Amino acid sequence: MSEAPSNKHKSPYAVEARGVTQSFDGKRKVLSNVSFKVKHGEILIIMGGSGCGKSTLLKVLIGLLKPTEGEVFIDGTEITKLNDRELSSVRKRFGMLFQYSALFNSLTLGENVALPILESSDVSPSIAELMARLKLEMVGMNGFEHLKPAEISGGMKKRVGMARGLALDPDLLFCDEPTSGLDPVTTATIDKLTLDLTRMLGISAVVVTHDMTSAFRIGTQMIYLSDGKVLVSGTPEEVKQNPNPNLQQFINGHADGPIPFKLSKDDWLNSLKKQT
Amino acid sequence: MLLEYAQLSLRAFACIFTPRKGPGGWMLSWKVTALFAQMVRIGVASLPTVALANFLLGVVLAIQGAGQFDKLGATDMVADLVAFSVLREIGPLITAVIVIGRSGSSITAELGTMAVSEEIDALNVMGIDPVRYLVVPRLLAMILMMPVLTVLGEGIGLFSGWVIGVASLHLDPVYYVQRSIDAVEQKDLYSGLLKALVFGAIVGTVGCFYGITVKGGAEGVGKATTKSVVTSLTSMLAMDAILTALIYFS
Repeated sequence: MSEAPSNKHKSPYAVEARGVTQSFDGKRKVLSNVSFKVKHGEILIIMGGSGCGKSTLLKVLIGLLKPTEGEVFIDGTEITKLNDRELSSVRKRFGMLFQYSALFNSLTLGENVALPILESSDVSPSIAELMARLKLEMVGMNGFEHLKPAEISGGMKKRVGMARGLALDPDLLFCDEPTSGLDPVTTATIDKLTLDLTRMLGISAVVVTHDMTSAFRIGTQMIYLSDGKVLVSGTPEEVKQNPNPNLQQFINGHADGPIPFKLSKDDWLNSLKKQT
Repeated sequence: MLLEYAQLSLRAFACIFTPRKGPGGWMLSWKVTALFAQMVRIGVASLPTVALANFLLGVVLAIQGAGQFDKLGATDMVADLVAFSVLREIGPLITAVIVIGRSGSSITAELGTMAVSEEIDALNVMGIDPVRYLVVPRLLAMILMMPVLTVLGEGIGLFSGWVIGVASLHLDPVYYVQRSIDAVEQKDLYSGLLKALVFGAIVGTVGCFYGITVKGGAEGVGKATTKSVVTSLTSMLAMDAILTALIYFS
């Protein structure tokens, strides 16, 4: 893959994080000096155990949290210093699939997908509805546009969430735990959808997950976070071959290993002290 | 907390009056259809409860007043009592209490649930300002509907007083109406409406603020809803005292 930016892009990288550190209350350090680059067309998997800082990192990448230190570039635009209005216009260039889909319960599925289209352009509601139907068709949800989110299953909600994320034809898609809580077949369907859509539309994706099957199925680059730091990074093959015992325990899902199953009372109290 | 509340309220009021540049030129920053939907939810749906509460309080006021005025042999003064109490205090106050319990709490619970299910984050990520999209229609509907509900409630309160005066105290129906009109000034009606406008702004901003800043899942939504109702009630009563002092001692 060429490192030179194409005419369509300002930078050779869709996303770049440089030394991102995130602390809360000045003491609790959730992310520590996290750096990585995602080239256009790549799918980056961010993986790690619960509480390792994955979701915080994602919030920093999409501009919902300002990092304590470091910089985040979306296609060459540094977003951590932008004001709300400038950030809004950058956000229109990326889509986001939330862990629980975050569909608006008061709106139908069609209205959910049409919302970003209606809010960012002056197209008529009928055109927006048509565009929403096309996006729903892309994720295999044609004919469901009049249903409410409460009337469909979790897997279907993820698909509609993806259709909404793609509504503005973004260059980049962020996915937070896209397959959590889904059965293996639906997981495979969502993975296939992610792969097909990124290839078909030529977009990049950043996927946060701790589902290893899914991660190795769709990822082209991976980073493994532990205690808020990047412990391992590389291609799926490199990550698989990495001998780090912490990573290997995580990938293979073993109960025994360096990742503690439970903390002692003293460790627990110390961790609380560290956090406050 | 107070600073965040002030920031959100100022942003919401600024959004009401500031047009935004859309792809087709300058336009209102909020949607009229969303405002109408909220006006129906906040105003029209509250009407039966507001009407019932005002009717019952008008009845109670007339009966209590009659008991006292009867000792002085001046039962016809019930019309005066009902008229100025309803217009100055009871109407705006009881309407605001009903709206706080019914719509203020519902706004906080709805926005709070949206916050914990990441719907507000989703709006931000889509480049849609949650203040413009969610807060402004609710706040504006509250400010517009509170005076409307208050006027309707006051009318019903006056009517119920009249019913008791005529049916139970055997006062002449026309004389009762005339006494009521003589007992009040235009200032009494305007002061009630001014209070309703201010109460609407308080209930709208407090309800939206507690909703949009919810943290901590279902428990957080419950706590925020309680805080929203308590804060709205106490702020509304404090503002009532301030406005009453300003209007009648100035």
